[in-house]
Amino acid sequence: MAGNNTEEVEGSAVTEAKTNSNAEVPPEFLIKHPLQNAWSLWFYDNDRNKTWEENLIELTTFDTVEDFWRLYHHIKLPSELRQGHDYAVFKQGIRPMWEDDANKMGGRWLINLDRKQRNSDLDRFWLDVVLLLIGENFEHSEEICGAVVNVRPKTDKIGIWTADTSKQHANLEIGRKLKDQLGIHGKIGFQVHRDTMVKHSSATKNLYTV
Amino acid sequence: MSASPIARQATHTQAIPSRRVLITDPTQMPDVYSSTPGGTLYSTTPGGTRIVYERSFMMSLRQSPISQTPPKCSLPAALLKNHSSVPPVSQPSPVQKNKARSNSISFDESQETFSMDL
Repeated sequence: MAGNNTEEVEGSAVTEAKTNSNAEVPPEFLIKHPLQNAWSLWFYDNDRNKTWEENLIELTTFDTVEDFWRLYHHIKLPSELRQGHDYAVFKQGIRPMWEDDANKMGGRWLINLDRKQRNSDLDRFWLDVVLLLIGENFEHSEEICGAVVNVRPKTDKIGIWTADTSKQHANLEIGRKLKDQLGIHGKIGFQVHRDTMVKHSSATKNLYTV
Repeated sequence: MSASPIARQATHTQAIPSRRVLITDPTQMPDVYSSTPGGTLYSTTPGGTRIVYERSFMMSLRQSPISQTPPKCSLPAALLKNHSSVPPVSQPSPVQKNKARSNSISFDESQETFSMDL
C-alpha cells in the first residue's frame, strides 16, 4: 500500500525520479527536509588588492538538507582550496567576523590540524562540523553562530563560533560534543574573540578546555 | 515505516491524534483561549520545538536525486569542483565525471534546466 502511494507521488511531483529504473524511490528522496535555521555559506578570498572585508563573500543561503548537499557536491572541499582561503557557514544574518553583534561577546572552539591532517582529517572534520550545526545537534544550539575553516600553510584551523563566552555550561557542552563526535583524542580549547583580536591565536589563552 | 516525520507527512495520510481530558473543576481550564485543557495538543522540546537531524540521516539524504542537482546560485568558477560531483559511495562512473565537468563550465545554462524539474 505504501508502495502504491509512493509511486503516485513520484509520477506527479518528481520527474527526476524516473531516471531511477527501480521505480521504488524511498519517500525521503521525494521531498526536501527543512532545517531549523537558514545558513549562509561564505568564502574568504585572499586577494592582496582588496581589504579583508572586501575579500569576504557571502555565496549563498540554504535552508534544507538537500540544498546543503547540492552545494556541497558542487564546490571544492577545504583541502582543495588554495592556502589562505576560508569557508564559513553561519546562521543567516550573522557575518563571520568578530565585530558582528552576534559575535561581539562570543568566542570559538578551535581545532588545529597539522599539515599531515589536511589529507586525513580536514574535509571529514569540516563536513561533520557543518552537519552538527545545521542538524541542530547541540543541546545549546541557540548559542551557535557558525563555523569557519581556515586553510593555511602550516596549520589548518576549524573554529566553531558561539555567541556568549560567559555561558560556561553551554560552551562546555558544545566543546565536549564536538570532541566526541569528531573523535578528537587531544585537548581542544575555547578562545574569547576579544583576546584573539589583540593577540595571535596561538598566543591566546584558553578560557575553557575539554 | 522508516520514513522521517516530515516525509510521512508528505507521503501518507494519517489520523489526527486526539486525547480525552476530564475536567472536574473550573480551575483546571486554561486561562488563555489559545490553549486546550491539559495542555496544547503538540508538546515541545525544552527551549521550544526544534528540527533536529542526526548525521547518519543527513548522510543518507546525500544520495537523494534532489541533492545531486546543481545549486541555483551562481558560484565563483574557482570554487567549483572540476571532477566528480557525485559522492563516491554509489556510482563513480566516468560518465558521471564527464557530466560534472560540462556542468561546471556552462554553469548558468544548466541551472535553468534543473530548476524546471522542481
